[in-house]
Amino acid sequence: MKIALASDKAGFELKEHIKSYLQGEGKGYEVIDLSEKPAADFVDSSVELAHYILDGKADRGVMFDEYGTGSAMASNKIHGMVTANVVEENTAHMTTQHNGAKAIAMGAGIVGPKKAEGIVDSYLGVNYAGGRHQIRLDMLEKLI
Amino acid sequence: MIIALGNDHIVTDVKMQISDMLKAMGNEVIDVGTYDNTRTHYPIYGLRVANLVRDGKADYGVVLCGTGVGISTAADKNKGVRAALVNDTTTAKYAKEHLNANVISFGGAVVGEHLAEDIVKTYLAADYKGEDDDLVAKIDALEPDNPEQHDNPHFYDHEMKLWNEGYYHD
Repeated sequence: MKIALASDKAGFELKEHIKSYLQGEGKGYEVIDLSEKPAADFVDSSVELAHYILDGKADRGVMFDEYGTGSAMASNKIHGMVTANVVEENTAHMTTQHNGAKAIAMGAGIVGPKKAEGIVDSYLGVNYAGGRHQIRLDMLEKLI
Repeated sequence: MIIALGNDHIVTDVKMQISDMLKAMGNEVIDVGTYDNTRTHYPIYGLRVANLVRDGKADYGVVLCGTGVGISTAADKNKGVRAALVNDTTTAKYAKEHLNANVISFGGAVVGEHLAEDIVKTYLAADYKGEDDDLVAKIDALEPDNPEQHDNPHFYDHEMKLWNEGYYHD
């Protein structure tokens, strides 16, 4: 699975931590870092990541800023994007299963590095469930 | 203040708790549903709240589903709406003060009742500081308008017809 990462300055250190974690032995992910240098702000980083995934260049993404909510707010403005601002492990897997979340956002000021590891494991470890949930995704897809 | 409330069937009880709290605080509440626990679809209610906020019929919106992800995403995909999914008061305060969020959301099945009330109270009590106009404008400029979805009660008729015909099933 190809995982894209993007970050502004405030999220950069946590992005670097998760990058190393996902590249660790046995993880089996191809990690694409869109922010070797931090983006100017979280709008730039999150929107770049949204387009990258929507263009099919990565399977899922993780975006970082200070609070997480800004990256989710900005990237969800992009047609077809579903980004979940996540601060704990349960939402991380639920949003894959029920929302088919194309990315998660994490705030480096809110989520610590160990919890961030658990969140990405939880997010990436399951698949979208489909079925009844698909009507909701079709409804989201119809918006802007 | 006038607050629009919307939710899916998973968290109707949490919505009622927030509604009662908001009324006790002296606010007017516009509850767009859902009103029971019968299975329904969060985008319907996220869109209704977004329309009320966008049209100035409500000052702010509160949208809830199990994790908050689905309904906040639906609300956010509307011109003039900035929906913030938060799970703590720190982020709720930030979302108002710096992003001028006009819709707030939390995971109704994730956040406990005490924290839920604190999140909404903190969000409403905070003021946009006016320091981030460029950032807010940059977010607003990301989406074009889609007149089809604005104040259109028939927007999801096609999907609901398919649902009622059994097209979507587990």
